[in-house]
Amino acid sequence: MRLLFSLMLLAVPILGVWTFLKADEWHTWFPQNVSSFGGEIDGLFNLILYMVAFTFVVTEVCLAWFVFKYSAKRSDKGAFTHGSHKLEMIWTAIPAVALLFIAFSQMETWAKIKFQKNFPKDGAYSVEHPIAEVWASQFDWRFRYPGDDGVLGTVDDLETSFEFVVPVDTDVVFKLRSRDVIHSFFVPEFRLKQDALPGHTIPVWFRATKTGVYDLVCAELCGWGHYKMAGSVRVVSAEEFKTRMAALKAEWFSNGKEEGQ
Amino acid sequence: MRSESRSLLVAALCIVGASWSCQLDTDRPAARPVIHYSLSEATRATSPEGEPLVPLDVQANVAGSLEMLFGTPAHPQFMLLDEWKESGFDLNWPQYPKGDQGSGEFSESDLASLATDNARYFRTPLMHIEAGEYERVAIHSWSPDLQRAWAALLAETAPELRNDEFKAKAKALFVDYYPTLASSAELYRQHCLHCHGPEGGGDGPTARFLNPLPRDYRQGTFKFTAVGKGTPRRADLFRILDEGVTGTAMPSFRRFSKAQLNGLVDYVRLLSMRGMVERSLVATFAEEEALTSGDVVAAYSDVWSKWEKAAEKLLVFEGEVPHPTPESIARGRELFLDAKSANCFSCHGPEGRGNGASAFVTDPQSGEVKPAYKDDWGHDIIPRNLRYGIFRGGRRPIDLFRRIKNGIAGTPMPEAPSSLTADDIWALVHYVGTLSERPQLVHAPAHDAHDSHSTPETHGSEPAKH
Repeated sequence: MRLLFSLMLLAVPILGVWTFLKADEWHTWFPQNVSSFGGEIDGLFNLILYMVAFTFVVTEVCLAWFVFKYSAKRSDKGAFTHGSHKLEMIWTAIPAVALLFIAFSQMETWAKIKFQKNFPKDGAYSVEHPIAEVWASQFDWRFRYPGDDGVLGTVDDLETSFEFVVPVDTDVVFKLRSRDVIHSFFVPEFRLKQDALPGHTIPVWFRATKTGVYDLVCAELCGWGHYKMAGSVRVVSAEEFKTRMAALKAEWFSNGKEEGQ
Repeated sequence: MRSESRSLLVAALCIVGASWSCQLDTDRPAARPVIHYSLSEATRATSPEGEPLVPLDVQANVAGSLEMLFGTPAHPQFMLLDEWKESGFDLNWPQYPKGDQGSGEFSESDLASLATDNARYFRTPLMHIEAGEYERVAIHSWSPDLQRAWAALLAETAPELRNDEFKAKAKALFVDYYPTLASSAELYRQHCLHCHGPEGGGDGPTARFLNPLPRDYRQGTFKFTAVGKGTPRRADLFRILDEGVTGTAMPSFRRFSKAQLNGLVDYVRLLSMRGMVERSLVATFAEEEALTSGDVVAAYSDVWSKWEKAAEKLLVFEGEVPHPTPESIARGRELFLDAKSANCFSCHGPEGRGNGASAFVTDPQSGEVKPAYKDDWGHDIIPRNLRYGIFRGGRRPIDLFRRIKNGIAGTPMPEAPSSLTADDIWALVHYVGTLSERPQLVHAPAHDAHDSHSTPETHGSEPAKH
């Protein structure tokens, strides 16, 4: 009986590790990474995952072994002990060191992605000249491009909904704003998530490395229609970006003749 | 019984119980309440004594007539008038040409663009068909008609007989897909009904959380169209589904295919026509104290002709859309503040804040300031605050041009007086479009408008409120 119970306990880490090993094959792992900093985020995730996995496996194996070895029938009654200063020092110090290690190891990545002083400056887009203003509202995404003058907030701004078109292999900086409540701009493939706060204009940057259409979802419960806030980010080549902007401009200044049916 | 085996038994029972309850959850068919069309509150209204204003037998007559004309939520269907049958016209199939059991509302190029979009939308099933992996084709429950057609196609050809001809047929099923009204009603049920209600009355369960309220289709009035006051075109409804209505809870539904969105437009039109016929029948009864089948057919045919003719009123601007200049903005400001011509300020306020004197009344007793106007749906309505830069009908120049020229259906926003030329209206468009971005314009003398594009920092100085 003791063997059965300890084997059942041992099955937990074995099955756990097995599902992680199989995750890629089963497509239950992360979506592909298509942003320049996504690899670092995944690296941090894996770092923590390995630390936790190591602890988990060791704990579970110990548990299984103890259940086997100290079965009630074969052992003496357990002795009561009162505290151990040494032991407490150890189990406080080790997690503390581990947590500090995690905290320090992520600082560089966080600063690179989120600190404004580290935002791309030399490219076509910067905090002063963002590619677009992204407006989140209940329950829709809207994208406002600066138009010909390159300045947002002027009459020639172009506006579109649902689909955020950006060029590939370019540092893209945009401004994130909310019209009503807190929303969150989340593109899983970019490993990018940023809350939009009403009354704040938050600059965000990313660099997409592969063309395609990726889901843009709201990652902050924003009301009953939260699930409807699904848009997309379309990453296109520089030439196609130009064509699409020109088409958007033509549609924007349309005289209404093309609207058939 | 030994303690270990007892606990083992309990554990085994737990596992069996848990898997059994999971099984229950997945196997049980989801309970789907049957939905019905009901008569509108106006039709069912009662006098203060509790007597129905429209007698119950007449109400039953109206409900029966509406079901005959438009079917039920599970089987929505336009009734065919005799002259339609003779000429081969069928409103239930907008994708087929007139005279060939269709209503011919799509041109060849429209149909080609629907097919291109279907190829994009159904790329995964089409990929499986191309690879001959027919069993991997999955169809969403949003398209029950396609699911049935696909099942029928698979059933009629045995797996070993599936040749290239079958493959072409299978692909065509997806590429040429256009939802039936019943299929669109299913899509409506899942995505629109919770706000717009089963009859399109704008009274679904989530409607009460919304400000502004969802559109009530039943009067045939839609605010943001390109045809001015009156019945809209299909393209107007399509644009709303495609773009959403900014500043409201109506999102963009571009996630769906163009064919699906067009199907939703068909269904919204059915609901809207149903509501219009209902109103018309109740009005006829109030006048004549009786309802005949002739009245029903006349109302139906009259309502359809309104929809059919909507496209004739499309407002386009001949020529290229002018860009704003300091002069046009200054001219727009002049007109905006001129009580004798455009007179915008009397409602929208001298600063465009939507606080004009004539849009509000003060209650003489309580001193409370209340909106002076009601819209066609009987709700209080206040003028748009133009300084938020949120224009529900679109912020494109042509959208603002149409709003000013045509007014807004169902609201006190009037058509522009005929004394205003197209240039005047463009000047107003330029001024209104600039208000949200450069609030200093409303105070500064007109000649200050020269420093265009130089003040990005003023943008957003006034956070939007709802």
